[in-house]
Amino acid sequence: MTPDNASFTTAAYTLAAIIYLAYVLSLKLRLRRLRARAIALETSARPRSDRPEGA
Amino acid sequence: MTSGQPSVAPPLPSQRDPLVGVALLGIAAIYVRALAFTPIEARQGAAQKIMYIHATSAFIALYVAFVLMALTSALYLWLKDEKLDRVAESSAEVGLCFTTVVLATGPIWGKTIWGAWWTWDARLTATLFLWFIILAYLLLRGAVEERGRRARYSAVLGILASFLVPFIHLSVYLFRTLHPMPILLKPSAPSLPNEMLVTFLLSFAAFTLLFIALLRSRYRLATLRDWVADREAERA
Repeated sequence: MTPDNASFTTAAYTLAAIIYLAYVLSLKLRLRRLRARAIALETSARPRSDRPEGA
Repeated sequence: MTSGQPSVAPPLPSQRDPLVGVALLGIAAIYVRALAFTPIEARQGAAQKIMYIHATSAFIALYVAFVLMALTSALYLWLKDEKLDRVAESSAEVGLCFTTVVLATGPIWGKTIWGAWWTWDARLTATLFLWFIILAYLLLRGAVEERGRRARYSAVLGILASFLVPFIHLSVYLFRTLHPMPILLKPSAPSLPNEMLVTFLLSFAAFTLLFIALLRSRYRLATLRDWVADREAERA
């Protein structure tokens, strides 16, 4: 007789999705922080006349 | 040792990587195919479908991510090219993510088949051990500031960690273990009915694409991080 264990399958698939999505999100957040730092560094390295307004 | 001439413009990757989106869509399609359109195995029930995410994640972590980490680490020690170190680092981190999925989904499958969440048999224990070593590898990278030394130390640890991969693969033959034998990576034909085999192979393709997309994103992150570190060091 086939056992009824579909809830375990759902739990495993949900857990895997959470782990992969959390990793994608962590990459995105780290990249956003680094981009901000890189843009700030690049902007401050430019001569004052080359900077965009408000920089 | 450094990445050559400092570039003026930062290597800014775009905020949205389409490859990651495509890979996630592929995984979603696999979820639908596996859960709704693949037959249920008679003896194990629906829990057997955990194989489509558990085994494919394990395959990519062990035979792709950690092998790539070891190869690029060895090449780094030879050529001293920072790009190789960044590939090794990225592959290790993405491989750790895949191994986390393996270690999270395996016990759920085990509970339905063995009646226990965990058993200290050779394959499970060695995989957990490898997970800790890769975690240590990433912590080591965070702890050593000087870039050349960091790359050298972690390359050695990465190569040593990869020695566990063949041991994990062969552990089901070498020891008495509850873990099932390989269904694909074996000398004889795959022991899966056609419909299940197609789902498994499609799942393998989707997770490979996800690995490539995550590796590419992580590599770009490492490149940008090194660029920022170089610029900040120049200013200090």
